[in-house]
Amino acid sequence: MIIETEATFSQPLYSDERETSEQNEIVFHQKSQKMLAWEDIRDGLLRWRIWLLLSYQDIRLRYQRSTLGPFWITLSMAITVYSMGYLYSHLFKMNMHDYFPYLVAGMLGWSLVSTTATELVETFTQSSELIRQIKLPYTLYIHKVIMRNFIIFFHNILVIVPILILFRGTSAWNIHLLLLLPGLLLIYANAFCYGIVLSMIGARYRDISQVIKSLIQIAFFLTPVMWIPDILPPDKRFFALINPVYALIEMVRAPMLGNLPTASNVAMSLLATLVGIALSYYLFTRRRARIIYWI
Amino acid sequence: MAQINLRSVSVEFPIYNLSGRSFKKAVLHRTTGGTISRDAQEKVIIKALNDISIDFHHGERIGLIGHNGSGKSTLLRLLAKIYEPNTGQLHIEGQISPLLDISLGVEAELTGYENIYSRGILLGLSRKQIKNQMHEIAELTCLGDYLSMPVRTYSAGMKIRLAFAVSTSIKPDILLIDEVFGAGDADFMEKAKNRMVSLLDQSSIVIMATHSDDLITEFCTKALIMDAGRIKYFGSTEEALSIYHGKTLST
Repeated sequence: MIIETEATFSQPLYSDERETSEQNEIVFHQKSQKMLAWEDIRDGLLRWRIWLLLSYQDIRLRYQRSTLGPFWITLSMAITVYSMGYLYSHLFKMNMHDYFPYLVAGMLGWSLVSTTATELVETFTQSSELIRQIKLPYTLYIHKVIMRNFIIFFHNILVIVPILILFRGTSAWNIHLLLLLPGLLLIYANAFCYGIVLSMIGARYRDISQVIKSLIQIAFFLTPVMWIPDILPPDKRFFALINPVYALIEMVRAPMLGNLPTASNVAMSLLATLVGIALSYYLFTRRRARIIYWI
Repeated sequence: MAQINLRSVSVEFPIYNLSGRSFKKAVLHRTTGGTISRDAQEKVIIKALNDISIDFHHGERIGLIGHNGSGKSTLLRLLAKIYEPNTGQLHIEGQISPLLDISLGVEAELTGYENIYSRGILLGLSRKQIKNQMHEIAELTCLGDYLSMPVRTYSAGMKIRLAFAVSTSIKPDILLIDEVFGAGDADFMEKAKNRMVSLLDQSSIVIMATHSDDLITEFCTKALIMDAGRIKYFGSTEEALSIYHGKTLST
């Protein structure tokens, strides 16, 4: 484990006779680590221009010389969820009219949450070139990764449009759809807090990204993405309700299906945010200055 | 007025070996009472900068001399605020523009114009400021129609022209340069020199790490010799070069 060398700031020992007149003018402002951490978060937000550009560029570069461009994301998502929806509605013997939109909306939420989490672990290692060459807030890179995944989500979201029209008609479009916005904001807030934690751990311990990847694979089966919590026996349903990933996915799935997220889902998401804030605060104020030495 | 003051600043690097980076080892270390993987704790620390106290003032052009690994780049990164000092105090007044790596933010697939734009954004310019300066920057690069081509078609020298033009376009108070002129041709060197002189007129400090004696005698007003993370000499360029070469000859 690293031993934090708390900066022990000595008094300015300045005894240069040549420039005594200047001696008094120099003021060394010492900022606490807490202060610097806050400034990092604030500047990260203020420099939205940079992370927006970088995340957009990431996507552009990935699909630079393809005809469909970023809509390849949409296409591959469409093929995955449509075939899954068809297969599983038969497998689970579910009513396709209910199950198909449920699965598609759930997969959209799941792919947003899971790929964001996976990519956040590698935030600093992937941007190491930039971090070593120019001083930018560390949180800027976290915003970049999250925003990149949100842009992909907004491409993917097209996938659900034909499904809703086909299975729900126009009745699915109601006022609850607007709740998608606060839902996404809540996911963003969670991604940011846990992003600080994941990216720092991922920079310090390189094998953690493998651990996270397998955890996410397990989470896919434990979370009601393909299955509906109602099929659990009533005394086992708490198992889904205490799952924060389920709560977060519901933040986007429920509005897309024209429903309200349940109070327990909202509460669970907010609880996850609070835990995330506490964890990220703990790590970021203590270890922020070390990140550059880890990458 | 740009100004830089350092008081007994030290920068230490922890060097993590492969096992020091392993989460598994760190966990094992906890659970096994530290007998199995003691190497997770064994960390080498390199003192890259050791007790540096120095002042740079308005209008100074500093040449940074030293052997590989003497701490030149670390010093530049410290001044660029990339590294935070472990101990000591650092005071920097003025806007800093680092030119530490020519490949900064240069995407090979994007065109020259697009790269000027993204680099400008990275350096903190607004969309409008870049638009206003685009012509001037394009002129300085001398790349002409190449600017509409993807950067992967550029030669190394052309990339430097591009990077230099954008990096100096933000009129920084403090310009930090690390060994980037190697590949520029004579015509570009002339332009770059004029640009640097004009930047200086706008109250700036230039700190430049280089192995070229000519650059130092031509550009710099002062020279700083680094040796093993310490300041060996800080003063006139002639004196510095003779000390530096005297040492290399004798060893």
